[in-house]
Amino acid sequence: MAANPLYILLASGEHEKLQMAAMMASVGAVSERPVEMFVSMNALLAFEKDLPAERRYQGGKFSKVLKEKRAPDALTLLRQGKELGDLKLWACSMALDMEGWELDRFEDGLFDGARGLTKFLSDAETGQFISL
Amino acid sequence: MADKLLDAKGLNCPMPILRAKKALKDVPLGGTLHVIATDPGAVKDFEAFCRATGNELLESKAQDKVFDFLIRRTS
Repeated sequence: MAANPLYILLASGEHEKLQMAAMMASVGAVSERPVEMFVSMNALLAFEKDLPAERRYQGGKFSKVLKEKRAPDALTLLRQGKELGDLKLWACSMALDMEGWELDRFEDGLFDGARGLTKFLSDAETGQFISL
Repeated sequence: MADKLLDAKGLNCPMPILRAKKALKDVPLGGTLHVIATDPGAVKDFEAFCRATGNELLESKAQDKVFDFLIRRTS
């Protein structure tokens, strides 16, 4: 079955949105859909190296629930999606450029590279697009 | 008797599905995986997962909020 690819644009740094994006990306990948996720703006802050969980994951009421109930860690879900399926993550090249950041600023083994929005949107024309 | 047993009791969505995908790699083609889960969405989730991946859901049983699935690996 040729599955419709899933394209997720994550700009929000809210824990709840990162969690939802990671859940969709990992479930899509293990359901044999190609998945690409474009990460920009405050969402990039959650991918920085060596952050304690309480700083990495900041949100509202449901963020507290996710932590209390020990929901699966969002970055772990993304790693599993990459291990078990076809999941690619791209860091927004504009955001990196503005901050003067390199990819090594972020947790290892997640980003496949840096890309521009135009390329991502162009690829996304062939699939389902979701933004958070 | 299934070729492999996956105990996913107590795991929240989407972990049972991710674990099942991983466990299926250890099942020979044509072999079966028995999954036990307690996630309330699991019944419909495993139906959808098997449909999407082309694996065959041979059995789906619910008892006392515990769900048992038997999946035949066909892909």
